[in-house]
Amino acid sequence: MTIDTSLGTTPTTGSDTAAGTSPTGSGTPLPAGRRSTRRIADWRKRVEIAVLAGPAVIVFVTFVILPVGMAAYYGFYKWQGYGPPTDFVGLQNYVIIFQDKAFQSVLMHNGFIVVMSLVLQGPIAIVLALLLNQKMHGRGLVRVLVFVPYVISEVIVGTGWSLMLQSNGAVNDLLQGMGLGGLRADWLSNPDIAIWTLLVIISWKYIGFAVILFLAGLQSIPEELFEAAAIDGASYWQIQRRITLPLLGPTIRIWAFLSIIGSLQLFDLVYIIWGQYIASTAGTSTMATYMVANGRTSGNFGFGSAVAVVMFIISLAVALIYQRFVLRRDTAGALTERKN
Amino acid sequence: MATTSIVAPGRRGARERRSSAALGRANPLTYVVAILFVAANLAPVLYIVLGGFRTNSQITTSPAGLPAPFQFGNYGSVLSSGIFWQQLGNSTISAVTTTAGVVVLGLMVSFVLARYRFAGRGALYALFAAGLMFPITVAITPLYLLVKDLGLTNSLAGVILPQIAFALPTTVIILVPFLRAIPDELEEAASIDGASRLGFFFRMIVPLSLPGVVTVGILAFIASWNSYILPLFILNNEGSYTLPLGVQAFSSQYSVDTAKVLAFTSMSMIPALVFFTIFQRRIVGGLTGAVKG
Amino acid sequence: MTRKIRAAAAIALIGATALVAAGCSAGSDAAGGGDGGKVTMTFWHNSTTGPGKAYWASTVKAFEKKYPDVTIKTQAIQNEDLDGKLQTALNSGDGPDIFLQRGGGKMDAMIAAGQLMDISGSISADAKQSISAGTFAGYEKDGKTYAMPGAVLPEGIWYSKDLFQKAGIEGTPTTMDELNDAITKLKASGVDPVAVGAKDAWPAAHWYYNFALRECSQKTLEGAAKSLKFDNPCWTKAGEQLEDFNKTKPFNNGFLTTAAQQGAGSSAGLLANHKAAMELMGAWDPGVIASLTPDGKPLADLGWFPFPTIDGGKGDPKSMMGGVDGNSCSAKAPKKACTDFLNFIVQKDNQEAYYKAFNAIPVNKDAQAVVDADYLKTALAAYQEAPFVSQYLDTLYGQNVGNALNTSVVDLLAGKGDAKDIVSTTNQAASKG
Repeated sequence: MTIDTSLGTTPTTGSDTAAGTSPTGSGTPLPAGRRSTRRIADWRKRVEIAVLAGPAVIVFVTFVILPVGMAAYYGFYKWQGYGPPTDFVGLQNYVIIFQDKAFQSVLMHNGFIVVMSLVLQGPIAIVLALLLNQKMHGRGLVRVLVFVPYVISEVIVGTGWSLMLQSNGAVNDLLQGMGLGGLRADWLSNPDIAIWTLLVIISWKYIGFAVILFLAGLQSIPEELFEAAAIDGASYWQIQRRITLPLLGPTIRIWAFLSIIGSLQLFDLVYIIWGQYIASTAGTSTMATYMVANGRTSGNFGFGSAVAVVMFIISLAVALIYQRFVLRRDTAGALTERKN
Repeated sequence: MATTSIVAPGRRGARERRSSAALGRANPLTYVVAILFVAANLAPVLYIVLGGFRTNSQITTSPAGLPAPFQFGNYGSVLSSGIFWQQLGNSTISAVTTTAGVVVLGLMVSFVLARYRFAGRGALYALFAAGLMFPITVAITPLYLLVKDLGLTNSLAGVILPQIAFALPTTVIILVPFLRAIPDELEEAASIDGASRLGFFFRMIVPLSLPGVVTVGILAFIASWNSYILPLFILNNEGSYTLPLGVQAFSSQYSVDTAKVLAFTSMSMIPALVFFTIFQRRIVGGLTGAVKG
Repeated sequence: MTRKIRAAAAIALIGATALVAAGCSAGSDAAGGGDGGKVTMTFWHNSTTGPGKAYWASTVKAFEKKYPDVTIKTQAIQNEDLDGKLQTALNSGDGPDIFLQRGGGKMDAMIAAGQLMDISGSISADAKQSISAGTFAGYEKDGKTYAMPGAVLPEGIWYSKDLFQKAGIEGTPTTMDELNDAITKLKASGVDPVAVGAKDAWPAAHWYYNFALRECSQKTLEGAAKSLKFDNPCWTKAGEQLEDFNKTKPFNNGFLTTAAQQGAGSSAGLLANHKAAMELMGAWDPGVIASLTPDGKPLADLGWFPFPTIDGGKGDPKSMMGGVDGNSCSAKAPKKACTDFLNFIVQKDNQEAYYKAFNAIPVNKDAQAVVDADYLKTALAAYQEAPFVSQYLDTLYGQNVGNALNTSVVDLLAGKGDAKDIVSTTNQAASKG
């Protein structure tokens, strides 16, 4: 995917000339008498820019940039959410956050989910994409059906799965019916199992997306490469290992980026299934549920804002590090460096 | 492989044989795996849908069983409850308006970023790209306070405007390269014909950018339809809820009545699935296009 | 020119749609206009099922009949969701006009935010006469009254007489040792001794509250409400008592995901279906249990005894945990209509109907004559004799500290924390707000 996430640099797709290195409307210097017309043209261009870009910028700054600034401001106060904040406490909220055992476990949970989501979904999705990339009947249908979980909201996924996973629910019943009664467990409340349950549900919801993404990536690999390798006598697996996977690299790295960011922000599923109170007991609380529980639910809006700032900094750091060290490889032109 | 020395029946035939050898023929194992994978993906969805057709006692005695006999009462009572339709309406208004806003505003600002040159263009682009780092989940606490100060709580506007704002970064990042790729010659031809920049925008850009716009629109629609944390904070009253909120409120209010909860949940799924079925080629194709660049 | 107009039109259209959408949903529940003419109010309560829900529906109808200019829109919200939703709604300025009020720190927070109506001057003479001053005290602050009480809800252990008999238990336990004895006997007879709905956190926390009630003096309990500091060693001792109690494994299987009041699998449901023998709960429990029995009628063999005494401890052995349930008017509600409603629901006939619907003790002394259930009579007598009745600690200490306290107790029961953790978590919660 050629999504450009590099901040501040000119996007690498498309040449700069398309953006108009030549001044708008005119390519040659104008005689003196024409300068007033040019000023009008300039002014008109400014108006156009303002009219076209204005609404988006206003909406964006108001509802995205401003709240983050507000969060940074409120984070320095102890504040209950009504009236102006008056109890300035400096960095105390942040100190409490990092000393809070509940937050430390939340960081561990999020980290675990980030890593295990990649580990569980990635390899399986790649294998499935390779399998589904072959000519088969109903390939289109399979692709559509596999995408269904992604389209359904996390609320519905959570509601359905939590009903299925109850102690006397469908999953345990099915295990019993298949003669695997010994495997029945308290899927949701057992702290040793709960986070794995969460991972399974997350993977169920998002693996279809990964498969579709990888399928698209596979299709952009030129067939000539496979032919050349086949002529050279490579086996199926050698081809996959030496050609397919490396060329799928950019797609995999983009998918991993999306997965990491999504895992860091996980909220809906946990909140729906485990509710407000037992997420931390069950070992499935995340930064977002911690923020809601300690912010809005408890009425501590100053503290909650501080948690939001912490979440933002962590996401930003992860995103920047990832871009710096992982995504840079993609702009170096992997294809040209392979000597086929 | 022995295929290398074969020339006839024509280059294309030989190529197909070689590439399918490279990709692997679809053997029975593939079909089995595909069927299992699809089944695993759809089983929980079927559970929800079929569950609505059972009674509570059926569910208690045989949790993993099929409806026996089919009960239509649950779906009936959901369909006849005003609350479901009201929430469906709210979700629809919210999603449609958000999508329209995202498309219009996003296209306009992407056009400016892609085809105008002015000081601060890089900074403006960076501003939107930076927005990817502020997801709604992170901003929700102060965003709620802001919406409250604007007096927009418990109204759909309080949900729509933030959703538009938070969808803009992705939109800009998808559309700007798209718009940039439209050749300069078209623009020059248009200005020779006497059209202004804006004329060029409306007459040519909009139709040409349709594929990208559709992708962006679909993503925005799905995100808005499924959005939970924002309506959770902003909407207070049952009558103003969107469907995800409604599902949660319904499932906790009627938690005893599992069958009815499943019926409500599956009815809430239907619009998203219908939308997806209609546009699935676009969605999957859009992702494919995005990957291929 | 036309292109610019088109652009402007597009923007205007978006804006207009947004405003229309805003108007469409916001308008439906605006608080009623002035006191003259038609008045509409919204009312939030937590009876989502059965006779309780029906009671409110019919009471509201009766009120609307008596006051034809007033319409009340009722919304039933699941008890576990109510506090959070109410707080958000009130903070956003579009809360309901009449709503359930628990009192304590939660009420204090609302008063501080200016969200409650002072009803001191509007209480009818009827209400003042039939409700004791002590009952009103729970809803007073700085000499002003902010809610009308509705039911008296002392806490104790509800038990099944039949299951006790089957296990060979004579009488009811009065000390912790006797309680532990009874638990052993019940386990031997094949039944879960104690049902607890730890999924909702507060039912588990009530065990801690009662141990704290026994260990800590009245002064400590009340002082903590102001200071929000839990440094007295009695708090830790209470936690240790709970730990010891938990070691005997008295609770039902899977109690961590058992809800309190929802469905046959909830703790109340277990008691209603004779799958568990005891539950520590406030006096709303008989009503909840009644709605979950197989025939939907009150449990015939239900009994009540107060929380047992412990050795040592600075609390009076006759003290009780208990609350009063009532309703408040929002500061924005139409004053006459709202206070009329509050006065209406505590009238004798409505209170008698309340008893019939909820199987709980009404505050109206005249209506209390109707209370015929043995277990309620016992509870009421104990309530009237208690030297000190404390609000439930999570209500008393406010939502922030209360939630932290509740979840830390669940952590202890799940083996993820100990007595000291309860104290440190609760202290820390206070520092977050």
